[in-house]
Amino acid sequence: MVGIASCLAMTLCEWQMGKTQETQYKQSSFQRMGKICLVLCLLFAIVGLTAYKGMEQVVPMGDYVFNYPANFGNRINVPADNPTTQQGVYLGRLLFYEPKLSATNNISCGSCHQQSKAFTDGRALSIGVNNGLATRNSMSLANLLWARKFFWDGRAASLEDQVAFPLTNSHEMGQSVQVSIQKLSNTRLYPGLFKIVYGDSIITGDRIAKAIAQFERTLISANSRYDRYLRNAYKPTDDELKGMELFSRGPDPEKGIRGANCTHCHGGPKTYLELFHNNGLDSISKDEGMAAFTGLVTDRGRFKVPTLRNIALTAPYMHDGRFKTLDEVVDHYSEHIKQSVSLSAFLQGESNEVGGHSLKLLPKEKKQLIAFLNMLTDSTFITDKRFGNPHQSTKN
Amino acid sequence: MKKYAIVLLLLIAGLTTNAQTATKEALIKVTGEVTTPLTIGNAEFQQYKQTTVTRKDRDGKDHTYSGVLVSDILAKAGVTLGPELRGENLAKYLLVEASDGYQVLFALAELDRGFTDRTIILADKVDGQPLVPADGPFRIIVQDEKKPARCIKQVTAMKVMFAK
Repeated sequence: MVGIASCLAMTLCEWQMGKTQETQYKQSSFQRMGKICLVLCLLFAIVGLTAYKGMEQVVPMGDYVFNYPANFGNRINVPADNPTTQQGVYLGRLLFYEPKLSATNNISCGSCHQQSKAFTDGRALSIGVNNGLATRNSMSLANLLWARKFFWDGRAASLEDQVAFPLTNSHEMGQSVQVSIQKLSNTRLYPGLFKIVYGDSIITGDRIAKAIAQFERTLISANSRYDRYLRNAYKPTDDELKGMELFSRGPDPEKGIRGANCTHCHGGPKTYLELFHNNGLDSISKDEGMAAFTGLVTDRGRFKVPTLRNIALTAPYMHDGRFKTLDEVVDHYSEHIKQSVSLSAFLQGESNEVGGHSLKLLPKEKKQLIAFLNMLTDSTFITDKRFGNPHQSTKN
Repeated sequence: MKKYAIVLLLLIAGLTTNAQTATKEALIKVTGEVTTPLTIGNAEFQQYKQTTVTRKDRDGKDHTYSGVLVSDILAKAGVTLGPELRGENLAKYLLVEASDGYQVLFALAELDRGFTDRTIILADKVDGQPLVPADGPFRIIVQDEKKPARCIKQVTAMKVMFAK
């Protein structure tokens, strides 16, 4: 924009110079000066306004560099046909917070994935267009760069595939791709941005999904107290340390080792291992989980084991949001695992009591475990301006 | 009365059969650097030469696992084992995946008789009984390995790949 304004200013200047040379013998110097001043004022106004608008929409360009701790590992998942660029992330962020992508123009991805709640919405089931309820609990969007299977049942093999679902699902954003394309095409903002990102201004469903996926990959949470502890920059409290021990140890009552064995599924610095388990919520799960598409009886009620990053912010818990608090979650694993043919093997017969059938943590141990879980809250992640709604500062 | 009982029995039998057919059989897909991709269910599994491995489980007791050599399955898929396991083929590995998404890998040389006598099998029985649903129907058993972490349960896929 600044470039266009400069060209326009130069052309007008040249034209003005030529004109003043031709007519200078006819005009008094007073008149001449007045006209030049007027034209210059107008030019400054045009250049100023154009430059201001240009500043407002400066699109960062070039490869996007992911910054994350070395202990997160480099097994990241970026599809070859959707490399992450700064301009792609810029567009993706605008689309992520774009309510025009919903049938009612008031729901965006950011409605059910709110930054202040680590990109969840605090509801058991999210409310979509026309007050429809989503089928499962809204998942936190953190550290998706390392994920390879998406949704609670892992049915999508890429973030790009995942993104397409809520946009069109009748209980979520409920708008066909064609209508979304039409709406975006009618804005002043988007056709130009698609040209910057994709080389031409054609808007497609595939391009919308790709840009949103690019933005979502940048949502990296790596600055919790736990991360700072791992890099020797935070000294945990006694309860946090005890909780960490319980979190990472399997119980072995015969050797006097007490534990909750959480790292079996939530291990590593990311507290995420991309596993899918039936965690004993029901004897017969109402929701089939992965069995809906594998057809295996052992996959009934099998769901993704989510990251525990920011877990204190992402209540309610489980695929159906049945547990309102972390206390309820810990109680479940400690005492209320339901036996079934689909129950994952590691949850069968794990106990802190010799011959016990459930974990049987002590009240004090539960508090310590939750103290550790609170260490996973990353306050910089939920306030990072790069992840917030950009539309307050962009005219559409 | 007898007639009704027979009809009732037939109905129950019919329903049971329906319930069973609604559930799919667990299969293992063998893909990647193979000449013949395979899909292995129970019928295919039984066609391989059966063998046994004894190892301790988490209960600290010895158990006898029966099944087939992983190398036999890979050989049938045309994986570069035996005389072909040399040069760049030594940079190949087998990635095994389970229903829960858990993955473990073995270098091809760990599976080849020319390199090791240690037996790695795909088991379907323990102490003569089918594996329990949470472990089976197929589980990798690695002979003599101290930790059981690579004795991956509920195997669904085996993929041979080149290290990049």
